Amino acid sequence: MLGKLALAGIKNRRRDYLVLLAGLTMSAAIFYMFANLATNQAFIKANAAIRSANVIFGFGAVLLIIITVVYLMYANSFLLSMRQHDYGLFMMLGATRKRVGQLVFLETLILGTVATAIGIGLGLLMSKFLVGFLLNLLGLHLVHLTSFYVPAILATAVLYVGLFILASVFNLFRLTRTTVLKLLHSDSEANQPQVKPGRQFIQAILGILSLAVGYWALANIKVLMMSAIPLALVTITIGTYLLFKATILMVIRQLRRTAWSKKHLNGFLLGQLNFRVYNYTRMLTIVSLLFAMALGAITVGSGYHRQLPRVVDHFSGYSVALHNVSGKEEKLIDQLHIAHQATYTQKRQGKVVAYNAAEFERQPFEQQRFSKNGQKLIGYDTQSLKTFKKSGIKEMDFMALALNGAGPYAPQILSASQFKQQKGTKMTVTVIRVTNFTRDMAVLKKLNKIETSRFVQPAYMTVGSYQSFEMMTGFFGGFEFIGYFLGIAFLAMLASCLMFKILSGAPGDKQRYRMLFKIGVRQSKMRQGIAKEIGILFLIPGIMGVIDVLFGLQMFKPLMASPMSPYLGIGSTFLIFIGLYVIYYFITLALYWRIVLPQATND
Amino acid sequence: MTTNTVVSVNGLEKTYGKANERQYRALKDINLTVEQGEFVGIMGASGSGKTTLLNMLSTLDVPTSGDVVVNGHDVTQMRGNQLADFRAQEVGFIFQDFNLLESLTAEENIGLPLALQGTASQVMDQAIHEVAATLSISDLLQKYPSELSGGQKQRVAAARAIVHHPAILMGDEPTGALDSTSARELLDLLTTINREQAMSVLLVTHDPFSASFCQRILFIKDGEIGSELRRGDQDRREFYQEILNELGTFNE
Ligand SMILES: Nc1ncnc2c1ncn2[C@@H]1O[C@H](COP(=O)(O)OP(=O)(O)OP(=O)(O)O)[C@@H](O)[C@H]1O
Ligand SMILES: [Mg+2]
Repeated sequence: MLGKLALAGIKNRRRDYLVLLAGLTMSAAIFYMFANLATNQAFIKANAAIRSANVIFGFGAVLLIIITVVYLMYANSFLLSMRQHDYGLFMMLGATRKRVGQLVFLETLILGTVATAIGIGLGLLMSKFLVGFLLNLLGLHLVHLTSFYVPAILATAVLYVGLFILASVFNLFRLTRTTVLKLLHSDSEANQPQVKPGRQFIQAILGILSLAVGYWALANIKVLMMSAIPLALVTITIGTYLLFKATILMVIRQLRRTAWSKKHLNGFLLGQLNFRVYNYTRMLTIVSLLFAMALGAITVGSGYHRQLPRVVDHFSGYSVALHNVSGKEEKLIDQLHIAHQATYTQKRQGKVVAYNAAEFERQPFEQQRFSKNGQKLIGYDTQSLKTFKKSGIKEMDFMALALNGAGPYAPQILSASQFKQQKGTKMTVTVIRVTNFTRDMAVLKKLNKIETSRFVQPAYMTVGSYQSFEMMTGFFGGFEFIGYFLGIAFLAMLASCLMFKILSGAPGDKQRYRMLFKIGVRQSKMRQGIAKEIGILFLIPGIMGVIDVLFGLQMFKPLMASPMSPYLGIGSTFLIFIGLYVIYYFITLALYWRIVLPQATND
Repeated sequence: MTTNTVVSVNGLEKTYGKANERQYRALKDINLTVEQGEFVGIMGASGSGKTTLLNMLSTLDVPTSGDVVVNGHDVTQMRGNQLADFRAQEVGFIFQDFNLLESLTAEENIGLPLALQGTASQVMDQAIHEVAATLSISDLLQKYPSELSGGQKQRVAAARAIVHHPAILMGDEPTGALDSTSARELLDLLTTINREQAMSVLLVTHDPFSASFCQRILFIKDGEIGSELRRGDQDRREFYQEILNELGTFNE
């Protein structure tokens, strides 16, 4: 009988349950995808770039587990908020606590298990299509990437079902410990936070100090080494929490005294925020940190990848070196925007390659010129033939023009007459440097493909900046992939954390908006009011998170030396990320409107 | 005597349920008027349609047919925002369960109807303090509803209902959740407001004691107005007796 009643209760709120189930399913799916990548040994072993990112995977896994726990906590509280009224009612009607307890336990567990099962299924599908798609997008080829991997399935199932058992126990406890009256009136309570200016001032100062320490630690990662990260994590968490606690309430309190607060629904909005923000402080802190991590992961990953073309000129003095240019290659070369092009004749014999001095008189070999500290490329130089014979000839850039499977030939520059008599296999090499690497990348790729299919070179060597670029892309692309993956996963979960927390408050708000409806507040005003309220709740952690990231990127300065910079081009990454965040905001808003806004006709 | 009519209702019907569902006729051909400055009570057994009637008058719900004119506005012709604005300007409400917003202080609760109209903040402060003095809640203004007793809450609710000088004050069992002392205080206050500000009051109640504060009582049964009592020159006690007698015959 009670079971039937419980089912009826669920049926009444099936849309809310669907939201909850969808959220949990997505979370499990994301976790599976990550577990699949992180635990699949064959896949990791086969991919050098990924292997070096193993630390990042480990770090990511820890973060992902933390956020999953937090996420399930909020999802669970949303579930409780939907159900406790019903359960209170059952108890008031005489159902034993034990019986109700069983119901709660079962309900949570069933929901959790179903979500996990569907989630793993979805994760399998997503691994198959989405991961491949993402990799393609980044121009990466990873081998041994399977979507079905038993240990990953097990890891996901164990973690999720375990957490749901915990949640069930927690719910059981919560419901059997609270009085029936409290359950029935769980929505109508609103505690008014106390404001003690002295204490809040101290909190604010302490908060700012902790934040400063955290940001300082990140900026000085070179000195502090690995200890910087945990230090920053702790101090930034504490700092953010204290700062939220101290300032937001204070600001709201000040605003409530102004004339502005006495216009339209402003006062109501501030009142709502006043007791909401107080309850939300902890959550806003967590969300802002997760926001920062997600955004940080994406920013750094894509920063590396995107900025490669910017440093590509540093790798070599020429973009490609082509031997015995064919007609097909000629056509491709015509499509390039060439900054410098020179062709030299080679005669290879034994371990030696000979060049013709006359050709170097006509077209000297161009070399990179670096700034004094050796970091910045400032231009291109040519040496006199005499000096070139002594120094330039030994540079890797030049040596790499004549390679066989084992390594470079020893270069020699002979006078025109000597060269004429020199024996050996005669071939030409054409070095080309383009004006704008990014613009000509596609053509360079084709040229490089032809070149590498016609001539061998040692596996460990790269010739010209294009080949270096390809190698580095593979490497940093791995980073970017992980960055995007973690970033999107975090964003999805944190935004739904926020969503569930906000939606948990909806039943209480329903009554408040009903009251407003009765005293004659226009529907549009209420909509705006809700949009503002939820908007602010989304905005606060968002702003804090952006600030965290801006400071946190300092951490990557040593890794991304000039002309790379962790701050370059973050605008577009931020935009994508914030765009996704905004979408979450609108979903939450739509759901909230649906739950909270009173219909024009009913009692 | 030249009086204006504040509420006039003609042939009002309300049927709950859509055409293809189970239908219930909650109100049948209701006709009534309330004059400016009148204190009118509506009595009836549970389920007789009192709340339904009040919801029609206050535009919280839409009649199936008939006319409702409040302070010159034909309510049945209004839509959406007009309805909300109408409630905000012409009607003051007191509910059995107070309906205060617990996230706002008493002062902010009282000021809400004025805030909605965009009243200047000085004007608003003055109006709040005036009405608070009338209802002797001046020292409660900074408190939150959770810090107030039931009687105090209801006085704050009453202050909110009249702060913007609506054409009519409507109460649905406003004393329902109060003890007898608080109930009496509230009714005395309503009487004072009615007399001093000449504000019309429409009070729904099933309690004869509350009803005895009214000048005229309409009895409603099964969705129809059955009879009507006028207090005239009687004192409250005599009127109370008359109501009890009427209820005796009315309920048979
Ligand atoms: N939304 C609704 N849908 C269907 N029927 C309704 C609805 N609201 C009220 N009714 C019915 O209309 C009739 C009148 O209800 P109403 O709430 O007006 O009674 P009331 O006189 O206020 O009673 P009480 O003194 O108990 O508050 C009742 O029989 C009730 O069942
Ligand atoms: Mg009623």
